[in-house]
Amino acid sequence: MSTNTASLNSQRTWLLSLDSWAVLAALLAALLIRAGVFTRVPW
Amino acid sequence: MADAIALPQARPAQPALQFLRVIPGVLLLAAVGYAGKLLERNVGTYAKAHHWTFPNIEYVLWAILIGLVISNTVGVPQIFRSGVATYEFWLKAGIVLLGSRFLLGDVLKLGGVSLGLVAIEIAVAIAFMTFLGRAFGLRPKLTSLLAVGSAVCGVSAIIATQGAIEADDEDSSFAIAAILALGALSLFTFPLIGHALHLSDHAYGLWAGLAVDNTAEATAAGALYSDAAGKLAVLAKTTRNAMIGFVVLAYAIYWASRGQAKTVGNKAAFLWQKFPKFVLGFLLISILATYHFFTKDQTTALANLSRWAFLLTFAGVGLRTNFREMRKQGLRPFAVGAIGEVVIAVFTLALVAGAGKLFGF
Repeated sequence: MSTNTASLNSQRTWLLSLDSWAVLAALLAALLIRAGVFTRVPW
Repeated sequence: MADAIALPQARPAQPALQFLRVIPGVLLLAAVGYAGKLLERNVGTYAKAHHWTFPNIEYVLWAILIGLVISNTVGVPQIFRSGVATYEFWLKAGIVLLGSRFLLGDVLKLGGVSLGLVAIEIAVAIAFMTFLGRAFGLRPKLTSLLAVGSAVCGVSAIIATQGAIEADDEDSSFAIAAILALGALSLFTFPLIGHALHLSDHAYGLWAGLAVDNTAEATAAGALYSDAAGKLAVLAKTTRNAMIGFVVLAYAIYWASRGQAKTVGNKAAFLWQKFPKFVLGFLLISILATYHFFTKDQTTALANLSRWAFLLTFAGVGLRTNFREMRKQGLRPFAVGAIGEVVIAVFTLALVAGAGKLFGF
Protein backbone atom coordinates (compact mmCIF):
# COMPACT_ATOMS: atom_id res chain seq x y z
CA MET A 1 0.00 0.00 0.00
CA SER A 2 1.77 3.13 -1.07
CA THR A 3 0.51 5.54 1.50
CA ASN A 4 3.38 7.87 0.82
CA THR A 5 2.67 8.14 -2.86
CA ALA A 6 -0.99 8.63 -2.07
CA SER A 7 -0.31 11.44 0.35
CA LEU A 8 2.06 13.09 -2.13
CA ASN A 9 -0.53 12.82 -4.89
CA SER A 10 -3.24 14.19 -2.68
CA GLN A 11 -0.97 17.05 -1.56
CA ARG A 12 -0.23 17.90 -5.20
CA THR A 13 -3.94 17.86 -5.99
CA TRP A 14 -4.83 20.15 -3.09
CA LEU A 15 -1.79 22.48 -3.55
CA LEU A 16 -1.19 22.66 0.22
CA SER A 17 -0.97 20.02 2.92
CA LEU A 18 -4.11 19.05 4.83
CA ASP A 19 -2.52 20.66 7.87
CA SER A 20 -2.15 24.02 6.15
CA TRP A 21 -5.69 23.93 4.73
CA ALA A 22 -7.07 23.19 8.20
CA VAL A 23 -5.17 26.19 9.64
CA LEU A 24 -6.36 28.47 6.81
CA ALA A 25 -9.97 27.34 7.17
CA ALA A 26 -9.91 27.85 10.94
CA LEU A 27 -8.32 31.31 10.62
CA LEU A 28 -10.86 32.31 7.97
CA ALA A 29 -13.70 31.18 10.24
CA ALA A 30 -12.16 33.16 13.13
CA LEU A 31 -11.90 36.27 10.94
CA LEU A 32 -15.52 35.94 9.77
CA ILE A 33 -16.67 35.67 13.37
CA ARG A 34 -14.47 38.64 14.33
CA ALA A 35 -15.89 40.69 11.44
CA GLY A 36 -19.41 39.95 12.63
CA VAL A 37 -20.43 37.91 9.58
CA PHE A 38 -21.39 35.13 12.02
CA THR A 39 -22.45 36.52 15.35
CA ARG A 40 -23.49 33.30 17.03
CA VAL A 41 -22.57 29.65 16.64
CA PRO A 42 -25.08 27.50 18.53
CA TRP A 43 -24.16 24.27 20.26
CA MET B 1 -3.85 10.10 6.58
CA ALA B 2 -5.08 7.72 9.20
CA ASP B 3 -7.15 5.90 6.64
CA ALA B 4 -4.29 4.13 4.98
CA ILE B 5 -5.71 0.80 6.16
CA ALA B 6 -9.35 0.98 5.32
CA LEU B 7 -9.57 3.50 2.56
CA PRO B 8 -8.31 2.97 -0.96
CA GLN B 9 -6.17 5.61 -2.61
CA ALA B 10 -7.87 8.12 -4.79
CA ARG B 11 -6.36 8.86 -8.17
CA PRO B 12 -5.15 12.45 -8.52
CA ALA B 13 -8.02 14.62 -9.69
CA GLN B 14 -8.84 18.27 -10.24
CA PRO B 15 -9.38 20.24 -7.01
CA ALA B 16 -13.01 21.02 -7.96
CA LEU B 17 -13.70 17.34 -8.60
CA GLN B 18 -11.92 16.38 -5.36
CA PHE B 19 -14.06 18.90 -3.50
CA LEU B 20 -17.29 17.44 -4.91
CA ARG B 21 -16.09 13.95 -4.09
CA VAL B 22 -15.74 14.68 -0.37
CA ILE B 23 -19.24 16.14 0.06
CA PRO B 24 -21.19 12.86 0.61
CA GLY B 25 -18.70 11.67 3.24
CA VAL B 26 -18.68 15.02 5.04
CA LEU B 27 -22.48 14.90 5.14
CA LEU B 28 -22.23 11.37 6.59
CA LEU B 29 -19.80 12.62 9.26
CA ALA B 30 -22.22 15.43 10.10
CA ALA B 31 -25.20 13.07 10.21
CA VAL B 32 -23.44 10.55 12.47
CA GLY B 33 -22.09 13.30 14.74
CA TYR B 34 -25.45 15.02 14.98
CA ALA B 35 -27.18 11.71 15.68
CA GLY B 36 -24.74 11.28 18.57
CA LYS B 37 -25.69 14.71 19.88
CA LEU B 38 -29.41 13.94 19.60
CA LEU B 39 -28.98 10.57 21.31
CA GLU B 40 -27.09 12.16 24.20
CA ARG B 41 -29.95 14.57 24.75
CA ASN B 42 -32.88 12.23 24.19
CA VAL B 43 -31.78 8.85 25.56
CA GLY B 44 -31.02 10.34 28.99
CA THR B 45 -34.36 12.17 29.08
CA TYR B 46 -36.25 9.06 27.92
CA ALA B 47 -34.54 6.83 30.48
CA LYS B 48 -35.27 9.34 33.25
CA ALA B 49 -38.93 9.63 32.24
CA HIS B 50 -39.28 5.84 32.37
CA HIS B 51 -37.32 5.51 35.63
CA TRP B 52 -34.59 3.44 33.99
CA THR B 53 -31.07 3.30 35.30
CA PHE B 54 -29.02 4.28 32.29
CA PRO B 55 -25.52 5.76 32.30
CA ASN B 56 -25.17 9.26 30.92
CA ILE B 57 -23.46 8.62 27.59
CA GLU B 58 -21.94 11.71 26.01
CA TYR B 59 -22.29 12.63 22.33
CA VAL B 60 -18.60 11.81 21.85
CA LEU B 61 -19.18 8.14 22.65
CA TRP B 62 -22.49 7.96 20.76
CA ALA B 63 -20.86 9.40 17.62
CA ILE B 64 -17.97 6.93 17.86
CA LEU B 65 -20.29 3.99 18.54
CA ILE B 66 -22.63 4.79 15.63
CA GLY B 67 -19.59 5.10 13.36
CA LEU B 68 -18.16 1.81 14.63
CA VAL B 69 -21.46 0.00 14.04
CA ILE B 70 -21.74 1.31 10.47
CA SER B 71 -18.10 0.56 9.66
CA ASN B 72 -18.15 -2.97 11.10
CA THR B 73 -21.56 -4.09 9.82
CA VAL B 74 -22.65 -2.62 6.48
CA GLY B 75 -19.29 -0.91 5.93
CA VAL B 76 -18.65 2.56 4.55
CA PRO B 77 -19.73 2.65 0.86
CA GLN B 78 -17.17 3.90 -1.64
CA ILE B 79 -19.01 7.15 -2.33
CA PHE B 80 -18.55 8.28 1.30
CA ARG B 81 -14.90 7.28 1.77
CA SER B 82 -13.13 10.40 0.51
CA GLY B 83 -15.33 12.57 2.70
CA VAL B 84 -14.94 10.37 5.78
CA ALA B 85 -11.17 10.69 5.34
CA THR B 86 -11.53 14.46 5.93
CA TYR B 87 -12.01 13.83 9.65
CA GLU B 88 -8.30 14.67 10.09
CA PHE B 89 -8.97 18.07 8.52
CA TRP B 90 -11.81 18.75 10.98
CA LEU B 91 -9.63 17.57 13.85
CA LYS B 92 -6.87 20.03 12.99
CA ALA B 93 -9.24 22.91 12.31
CA GLY B 94 -10.94 22.12 15.66
CA ILE B 95 -7.60 22.21 17.48
CA VAL B 96 -6.71 25.59 15.93
CA LEU B 97 -10.09 27.03 16.99
CA LEU B 98 -9.70 25.52 20.46
CA GLY B 99 -6.77 27.91 20.87
CA SER B 100 -9.39 30.59 21.64
CA ARG B 101 -10.10 28.85 24.95
CA PHE B 102 -6.48 29.08 26.11
CA LEU B 103 -4.79 32.23 27.29
CA LEU B 104 -1.18 32.40 26.17
CA GLY B 105 0.03 32.29 29.79
CA ASP B 106 -1.82 29.00 30.34
CA VAL B 107 -0.44 27.59 27.11
CA LEU B 108 3.11 28.49 28.14
CA LYS B 109 2.67 27.19 31.68
CA LEU B 110 0.82 23.98 30.81
CA GLY B 111 2.77 23.58 27.59
CA GLY B 112 6.01 23.91 29.57
CA VAL B 113 4.95 21.17 32.00
CA SER B 114 3.68 19.07 29.07
CA LEU B 115 6.94 19.59 27.18
CA GLY B 116 9.00 18.23 30.07
CA LEU B 117 6.70 15.22 30.42
CA VAL B 118 6.57 14.69 26.64
CA ALA B 119 10.37 14.63 26.40
CA ILE B 120 10.55 11.92 29.09
CA GLU B 121 7.64 9.99 27.55
CA ILE B 122 9.18 10.01 24.07
CA ALA B 123 12.59 8.83 25.30
CA VAL B 124 11.13 6.01 27.40
CA ALA B 125 8.55 4.96 24.78
CA ILE B 126 11.13 4.76 21.97
CA ALA B 127 13.61 2.84 24.14
CA PHE B 128 10.97 0.39 25.36
CA MET B 129 9.32 -0.21 21.97
CA THR B 130 12.74 -0.77 20.38
CA PHE B 131 13.56 -3.33 23.08
CA LEU B 132 10.18 -5.06 22.63
CA GLY B 133 10.46 -5.12 18.83
CA ARG B 134 13.86 -6.80 19.09
CA ALA B 135 12.62 -9.24 21.75
CA PHE B 136 9.69 -10.26 19.49
CA GLY B 137 11.91 -10.49 16.42
CA LEU B 138 10.07 -7.82 14.41
CA ARG B 139 11.76 -6.34 11.35
CA PRO B 140 13.95 -3.37 12.43
CA LYS B 141 12.08 -0.78 10.34
CA LEU B 142 8.71 -2.04 11.56
CA THR B 143 10.07 -1.66 15.10
CA SER B 144 11.11 1.92 14.28
CA LEU B 145 7.63 2.71 12.93
CA LEU B 146 5.90 1.23 15.99
CA ALA B 147 8.27 3.12 18.28
CA VAL B 148 7.59 6.45 16.55
CA GLY B 149 3.85 5.77 16.39
CA SER B 150 3.55 5.05 20.08
CA ALA B 151 6.03 7.71 21.21
CA VAL B 152 4.89 10.71 19.17
CA CYS B 153 1.64 10.94 17.31
CA GLY B 154 0.31 7.73 15.96
CA VAL B 155 -0.51 7.39 12.29
CA SER B 156 0.82 10.79 11.15
CA ALA B 157 4.19 10.02 12.71
CA ILE B 158 4.29 6.58 11.12
CA ILE B 159 3.53 7.99 7.67
CA ALA B 160 6.11 10.77 8.10
CA THR B 161 8.73 8.26 9.25
CA GLN B 162 7.94 5.72 6.55
CA GLY B 163 8.97 8.20 3.88
CA ALA B 164 12.06 9.35 5.77
CA ILE B 165 13.47 5.88 6.53
CA GLU B 166 12.21 4.23 3.33
CA ALA B 167 10.31 1.54 5.18
CA ASP B 168 8.17 -1.01 3.30
CA ASP B 169 4.49 -0.25 2.77
CA GLU B 170 3.73 -3.54 4.48
CA ASP B 171 5.61 -2.46 7.63
CA SER B 172 3.76 0.83 7.60
CA SER B 173 0.40 -0.95 7.30
CA PHE B 174 1.24 -3.27 10.20
CA ALA B 175 2.28 -0.37 12.42
CA ILE B 176 -0.76 1.73 11.49
CA ALA B 177 -3.14 -1.17 12.13
CA ALA B 178 -1.61 -1.81 15.55
CA ILE B 179 -1.74 1.85 16.55
CA LEU B 180 -5.33 2.29 15.33
CA ALA B 181 -6.57 -0.85 17.08
CA LEU B 182 -4.92 0.20 20.34
CA GLY B 183 -6.27 3.74 19.92
CA ALA B 184 -9.80 2.33 19.61
CA LEU B 185 -9.30 0.31 22.79
CA SER B 186 -7.99 3.34 24.66
CA LEU B 187 -11.24 5.20 23.96
CA PHE B 188 -13.05 2.78 26.22
CA THR B 189 -10.36 1.90 28.77
CA PHE B 190 -8.87 5.33 29.57
CA PRO B 191 -12.05 7.01 30.87
CA LEU B 192 -12.88 3.91 32.95
CA ILE B 193 -9.41 3.86 34.53
CA GLY B 194 -9.51 7.63 35.08
CA HIS B 195 -12.82 7.40 36.92
CA ALA B 196 -11.71 4.34 38.90
CA LEU B 197 -8.61 6.23 40.07
CA HIS B 198 -10.61 9.45 40.67
CA LEU B 199 -8.16 11.44 38.55
CA SER B 200 -8.71 15.18 38.38
CA ASP B 201 -9.63 16.65 34.98
CA HIS B 202 -6.16 18.14 34.80
CA ALA B 203 -4.31 14.91 35.60
CA TYR B 204 -6.52 12.80 33.33
CA GLY B 205 -6.27 15.25 30.42
CA LEU B 206 -2.48 15.29 30.64
CA TRP B 207 -2.41 11.50 30.88
CA ALA B 208 -4.65 10.99 27.85
CA GLY B 209 -2.61 13.50 25.85
CA LEU B 210 0.64 11.77 26.79
CA ALA B 211 -0.41 8.15 26.47
CA VAL B 212 -3.00 7.89 23.67
CA ASP B 213 -1.20 7.82 20.34
CA ASN B 214 -3.42 9.13 17.61
CA THR B 215 -4.50 12.78 17.94
CA ALA B 216 -8.15 12.04 17.15
CA GLU B 217 -8.34 9.28 19.76
CA ALA B 218 -6.47 11.39 22.36
CA THR B 219 -8.95 14.24 21.79
CA ALA B 220 -11.90 11.85 22.06
CA ALA B 221 -10.51 10.05 25.13
CA GLY B 222 -10.09 13.43 26.85
CA ALA B 223 -13.55 14.69 25.85
CA LEU B 224 -15.13 11.44 27.06
CA TYR B 225 -13.91 12.26 30.58
CA SER B 226 -14.91 15.93 30.71
CA ASP B 227 -14.74 19.14 28.73
CA ALA B 228 -11.82 20.42 30.82
CA ALA B 229 -9.95 17.12 30.47
CA GLY B 230 -10.54 17.27 26.71
CA LYS B 231 -8.89 20.70 26.54
CA LEU B 232 -5.87 19.49 28.49
CA ALA B 233 -5.59 16.31 26.42
CA VAL B 234 -5.48 18.39 23.24
CA LEU B 235 -2.80 20.68 24.68
CA ALA B 236 -0.59 17.80 25.83
CA LYS B 237 -1.11 15.94 22.55
CA THR B 238 -0.33 19.08 20.53
CA THR B 239 2.93 19.46 22.47
CA ARG B 240 3.72 15.84 21.60
CA ASN B 241 2.85 16.44 17.94
CA ALA B 242 5.24 19.39 17.84
CA MET B 243 8.10 16.93 18.47
CA ILE B 244 7.39 14.87 15.35
CA GLY B 245 10.00 16.58 13.16
CA PHE B 246 12.85 16.03 15.61
CA VAL B 247 12.05 12.34 16.15
CA VAL B 248 11.59 11.61 12.43
CA LEU B 249 14.83 13.48 11.67
CA ALA B 250 16.70 11.40 14.28
CA TYR B 251 15.36 8.18 12.72
CA ALA B 252 16.17 9.39 9.20
CA ILE B 253 19.78 10.14 10.23
CA TYR B 254 20.06 6.78 12.01
CA TRP B 255 18.83 4.75 9.00
CA ALA B 256 20.89 6.87 6.56
CA SER B 257 24.01 6.18 8.64
CA ARG B 258 23.33 2.47 8.13
CA GLY B 259 23.02 3.01 4.40
CA GLN B 260 19.33 2.05 4.39
CA ALA B 261 17.76 5.48 3.78
CA LYS B 262 18.55 8.68 1.89
CA THR B 263 20.79 11.22 3.65
CA VAL B 264 18.91 14.27 4.91
CA GLY B 265 20.31 17.36 3.16
CA ASN B 266 18.80 20.52 4.61
CA LYS B 267 17.82 19.62 8.19
CA ALA B 268 15.97 22.90 8.86
CA ALA B 269 13.83 22.42 5.73
CA PHE B 270 13.21 18.81 6.76
CA LEU B 271 12.03 19.93 10.23
CA TRP B 272 9.73 22.59 8.75
CA GLN B 273 8.26 20.11 6.26
CA LYS B 274 7.45 17.63 9.04
CA PHE B 275 6.32 20.22 11.59
CA PRO B 276 2.53 20.09 12.16
CA LYS B 277 1.36 23.54 11.06
CA PHE B 278 -1.85 23.37 13.10
CA VAL B 279 0.30 23.84 16.23
CA LEU B 280 1.19 27.31 14.90
CA GLY B 281 -2.46 28.03 14.12
CA PHE B 282 -3.43 26.99 17.67
CA LEU B 283 -0.79 29.34 19.13
CA LEU B 284 -1.86 32.22 16.87
CA ILE B 285 -5.54 31.97 17.89
CA SER B 286 -4.48 31.68 21.54
CA ILE B 287 -2.36 34.87 21.22
CA LEU B 288 -5.27 36.71 19.55
CA ALA B 289 -7.66 35.59 22.31
CA THR B 290 -5.16 36.62 25.01
CA TYR B 291 -4.90 40.15 23.58
CA HIS B 292 -8.71 40.50 23.35
CA PHE B 293 -8.90 40.41 19.58
CA PHE B 294 -12.21 38.56 20.09
CA THR B 295 -15.09 39.64 22.33
CA LYS B 296 -16.49 37.20 24.88
CA ASP B 297 -19.35 36.22 22.56
CA GLN B 298 -16.95 35.73 19.66
CA THR B 299 -14.74 33.50 21.83
CA THR B 300 -17.82 31.43 22.71
CA ALA B 301 -18.69 31.20 18.99
CA LEU B 302 -15.14 30.01 18.20
CA ALA B 303 -15.27 27.44 20.99
CA ASN B 304 -18.61 26.13 19.68
CA LEU B 305 -17.24 25.96 16.15
CA SER B 306 -14.35 23.92 17.52
CA ARG B 307 -16.88 21.54 19.14
CA TRP B 308 -18.66 21.05 15.78
CA ALA B 309 -15.33 20.30 14.12
CA PHE B 310 -14.55 17.73 16.82
CA LEU B 311 -18.02 16.23 16.41
CA LEU B 312 -17.18 15.39 12.78
CA THR B 313 -13.82 14.03 13.93
CA PHE B 314 -15.39 11.68 16.48
CA ALA B 315 -17.82 10.38 13.86
CA GLY B 316 -14.82 9.80 11.59
CA VAL B 317 -12.93 7.90 14.29
CA GLY B 318 -15.79 5.37 14.44
CA LEU B 319 -16.37 5.21 10.70
CA ARG B 320 -12.75 4.55 9.77
CA THR B 321 -12.19 1.87 12.45
CA ASN B 322 -12.68 -1.52 10.86
CA PHE B 323 -11.72 -4.37 13.14
CA ARG B 324 -11.78 -6.96 10.33
CA GLU B 325 -9.17 -4.98 8.36
CA MET B 326 -7.04 -4.64 11.48
CA ARG B 327 -7.20 -8.37 12.27
CA LYS B 328 -5.80 -9.14 8.82
CA GLN B 329 -2.54 -7.36 9.70
CA GLY B 330 -1.30 -10.08 12.04
CA LEU B 331 -0.84 -10.62 15.72
CA ARG B 332 2.83 -9.93 16.47
CA PRO B 333 2.94 -6.19 15.72
CA PHE B 334 -0.32 -5.86 17.65
CA ALA B 335 1.13 -7.78 20.62
CA VAL B 336 4.26 -5.58 20.64
CA GLY B 337 2.09 -2.48 20.37
CA ALA B 338 -0.29 -3.65 23.10
CA ILE B 339 2.45 -4.54 25.59
CA GLY B 340 4.23 -1.28 24.80
CA GLU B 341 1.06 0.78 25.17
CA VAL B 342 0.20 -0.76 28.54
CA VAL B 343 3.70 -0.06 29.85
CA ILE B 344 3.68 3.49 28.42
CA ALA B 345 0.20 4.13 29.89
CA VAL B 346 1.33 2.99 33.35
CA PHE B 347 4.57 4.93 33.08
CA THR B 348 2.88 8.16 31.95
CA LEU B 349 0.26 7.79 34.67
CA ALA B 350 3.07 7.66 37.24
CA LEU B 351 4.73 10.61 35.49
CA VAL B 352 1.53 12.68 35.66
CA ALA B 353 1.01 11.72 39.32
CA GLY B 354 4.57 12.85 40.08
CA ALA B 355 4.12 16.11 38.17
CA GLY B 356 0.79 16.63 39.94
CA LYS B 357 2.52 16.48 43.31
CA LEU B 358 5.26 18.80 42.10
CA PHE B 359 3.02 21.39 40.42
CA GLY B 360 -0.10 20.91 42.55
CA PHE B 361 -2.85 19.69 40.19
